[in-house]
Amino acid sequence: MTPLFAWLFDTLDERLGLRSPSRKAANKVFPHNWSFLLGEIALFALVVLVLTGVFLTMFYRPSIEAVTYNGSFELYRGTTQPAAFESILRLSHDIPGGLLFRRIHRVAAHLFVAAGVLHMLRILLTGAFRRPREVNYLVGIGLITFAFAAGFTGYSLPYDSLAGTGIRIAYSELLSFPVVGDSIAFWVFGGDFPTGDVIPRFFVFHVMVLPAIIIGTLTIHLLLVVRQRHTQFPARGVDGHRFVLGKPLWPAQFAESATLMLWVGGVLALASILVPWSDITLIGPYVPGEVGNNAQPDWYMFWVEGALRIFPAVEFSVFNLMTISGPFIAGILLPGLVFTGLALYPFIERRVCRLEGEWHVLTNPLEIPLRAAFVVGTFGFVLIISAAATNDILSRLTGVPIEAATWFFRITAVVVPPLAAAAVYVYSTRRLRRRGRTVATNEQDAMRPYLFSAGSSDDESMARSGSEPEPEPE
Amino acid sequence: MNRGENRPRPLEIIERRDPPTSSINDSIVTLTAIGAGAFALLFAVSLLAGGPVQLYGGALAAALMLLAVAVRRFFTGRYPDVTAVEPRDEPATGGAGVSVADVEPVSPRRSFLTRALIAATGLLGLSLLAPVASLGPSPGDTLRRTKWARGVRLVTGEGDPVRPADVATGGLASIWPEKGIGHERSSVLLIRLQQPPGSPTRIEWVVDDLVAYSKVCTHAGCPVALYRERDNALFCPCHQSTFDPARGAQPTFGPAARSLPQLPLGLDGEGYLVALGDFEAQVGPALPRG
Ligand code: FES
Repeated sequence: MTPLFAWLFDTLDERLGLRSPSRKAANKVFPHNWSFLLGEIALFALVVLVLTGVFLTMFYRPSIEAVTYNGSFELYRGTTQPAAFESILRLSHDIPGGLLFRRIHRVAAHLFVAAGVLHMLRILLTGAFRRPREVNYLVGIGLITFAFAAGFTGYSLPYDSLAGTGIRIAYSELLSFPVVGDSIAFWVFGGDFPTGDVIPRFFVFHVMVLPAIIIGTLTIHLLLVVRQRHTQFPARGVDGHRFVLGKPLWPAQFAESATLMLWVGGVLALASILVPWSDITLIGPYVPGEVGNNAQPDWYMFWVEGALRIFPAVEFSVFNLMTISGPFIAGILLPGLVFTGLALYPFIERRVCRLEGEWHVLTNPLEIPLRAAFVVGTFGFVLIISAAATNDILSRLTGVPIEAATWFFRITAVVVPPLAAAAVYVYSTRRLRRRGRTVATNEQDAMRPYLFSAGSSDDESMARSGSEPEPEPE
Repeated sequence: MNRGENRPRPLEIIERRDPPTSSINDSIVTLTAIGAGAFALLFAVSLLAGGPVQLYGGALAAALMLLAVAVRRFFTGRYPDVTAVEPRDEPATGGAGVSVADVEPVSPRRSFLTRALIAATGLLGLSLLAPVASLGPSPGDTLRRTKWARGVRLVTGEGDPVRPADVATGGLASIWPEKGIGHERSSVLLIRLQQPPGSPTRIEWVVDDLVAYSKVCTHAGCPVALYRERDNALFCPCHQSTFDPARGAQPTFGPAARSLPQLPLGLDGEGYLVALGDFEAQVGPALPRG
C-alpha cells in the first residue's frame, strides 16, 4: 500500500469502520473453474456496453424524420435519410472514435448475450439451480430475457433496412395476440406501422428502461451469489456440502477478475477493428415496403425467426371471436413455452427425482438422466430452429430448393430433439447402472464417490473428512 | 449453542504454493506495463489526431491486453497461490476472531512494479478520456466573431431593413443582422439617445443620435432587454446589471464588469442602417482565454 492509499484507507476506516468488513471480504473464498467465468464475462461485456453506450447516446438522434446527410462519406453525401440512420452515418464517419465505439458496442452486445446464454447452460448442466438457488436461477432467466429485449431494441435503433424489417416483424408479432393484438401493437408503436413514435420509444427502452432493469436485476443476482455463496465442483476428499473450497478474493480472485475484464475489453477492441460489425452503409436505410434477401436478425433471435419460417401455414378463427395464427404460435407461444420450461425445470427435477435438502456441489448432468435429456432436448430444439433461420442461405449455397430445406427443418425440429433426449436419457441411465448407482436424492449421497475414494487419508481438517458425523454439543 | 469451537477456523488454508523469485517475471511485468502505457498514449494521440480507426482501435486493444498480462504476472509473481476452505454457513460476525488467510506478498516489496502498474492503469484511464474531444468541434475563434460584417444591414425580427427615421425619439429596437436572425450572440439593441453621447461612446459609430449595442449581457449572457426610462439605463433582468447607453454602455451597477460592445454603425446608399464591421470588443460573457 502506498502511503497515500494507506492514509486514505485509515481515514475512511475510522469513520466508516471498513477494516473488519473489507478484511472479511478479502478473505471470502471463491471456488475456481473456467466455466464460472462465463457470467463474469457477461458482466464485463455489460460494463463495456454501458461505457460505449453513453458515448453513442451523445450523437444518436431518435427520429425517422427525413434529413440530409452532409458529412464526409461519399456514397451518402447529399442524400436524404431517416434522422436516426443519418446520425449513425455521421457518428461512424465524421466523429473521431465513433466507428470504433459503435462497433465495440455491437460486439459487446453479442458477447453479453452469448456469455449469458452459455452461463445459463452451465448452470443448467451442472445443477447450480438447485435449492437454495432457485430464486437466483429465476432472476437469471429474467436477465436473459431483458438482454434479448435490449439487444432487439438496440438492433432496431439505426433504422437500417434490417432494423426496419425486424421492427415490422415485431409489430406483426404483437398484432398476432388473439383478440387484443391490435391494441397492444398500437400501444407499443403509437399507431399503425411505420409510425414516427417507434424509434423514440425503442430508444427510451434501450437507453433507459432496460439498462435500469438489467443493472438492478444483475445487482440482485450478484448479491444473491455472495449471500448464498458459490457452488463448486466436487473435489476429492472435500465435503463441499459444508465447506467452500477455493481461492480468497484477495489477491487471487481479484487478479483473475481484473485480468479478465482487461481481456474482454482488449478482445472487443481487437474484434472491432478486424470485423466491420453491422456496417449500416452496406445495409442501407429502411424504406417501407422494401426488403432484401438475407434478412436475418441477430443470432440470438434466430430461433424465433426460424420458428416463424418453418411453422406451417396456420390461421383460423375461433367462434369468430379470435384469430389464432402461425406467427402467434411460432413467435409468441413457442418462445414462451421454452422459457416457461426453463423456469420450471428446477422444480420439476426436484419433484421427479425426489431431491432432498440443499445442494452446493455441482454434478455431472449424466448423473441425473432427466436433466441430461431436458437440456439436450430443449437446446437441441432451439439450435435446430435457429439453423432454420438460415434456410434461404443454405438453399442458395447447396442448391437444395427452399421448399425442401424448409421441410428438412420441419421434420428435424420435431423428430430429432425427442430422439436425442431419449438417447441421452437411456445412455445416462445405463451409465449409472453400470456404476452400480442410482440418482442420488441428497447431497451427501451424491458426494459419496468423492469422499470415500482411495488416497484421501489425510485428516488435516474436518473439511477433508466432512462425512464424519459432527458431534453436536448442546 | 457453542458450535463455533468445534469448527475449523473461518478460513483454513489447505494448500499454498509460493512463487519462485524470478527476475524474468519482474521484467515481464515492467515491460508489459510500459507497453500498455505506451499503447494507451498512442490510442489517445492517434484518436485526437484523427488517425485511422485501425490504428487507435488496435492501440486500445493492445493497451488493454498488455495491461491484462502485467496484472496477471504481477500477482502470480508476488503472492502465494492459496487454496482455502471456509464453512458455508459462516459463524456470525464478531466472535469469529482473525482468519488466517490474509494473503501477504511473499516476495520483498517491489514498489517499482507496483508503481509501474499503477502508472500504466492511470495512463490508460486518462487515455480513455480522449473520446471526450469528439463530443464537439474545436471552438477556434467562433466565439470571437458574430454575424456582423461591413455592409450587413440591420433588420428587425421580421427581416425588414431599418432607416434612422424608423426609430422614434426615446425609442429602442431589437435588431438582427440580415441573414442572421435568431443568431443569439449577434442580437443588437438600437437606441435613440436622449442626450448627446459622452465618452467612451465612439462618436464616429453614432448615426443621427442612434447608437447600437450588443444585446448580450457581458455578465452571463442574458438579453439586456429592458430600458429604464427614469434614468435612461439599459437593465438586464437576470442579475440586475445596468448599463449607460449614453456613455458607451458602461456598467453602472450590478455584476457585469464590461461594457456592452458598440456596433460600428453607418448608412448604405439607400439610406438603410448597416454595420461598418463586426464588434471590436468581445461580445457576451467572459471567455476562458483572454
Ligand atoms: S446576465 Fe445580465 S446581469 Fe447577469
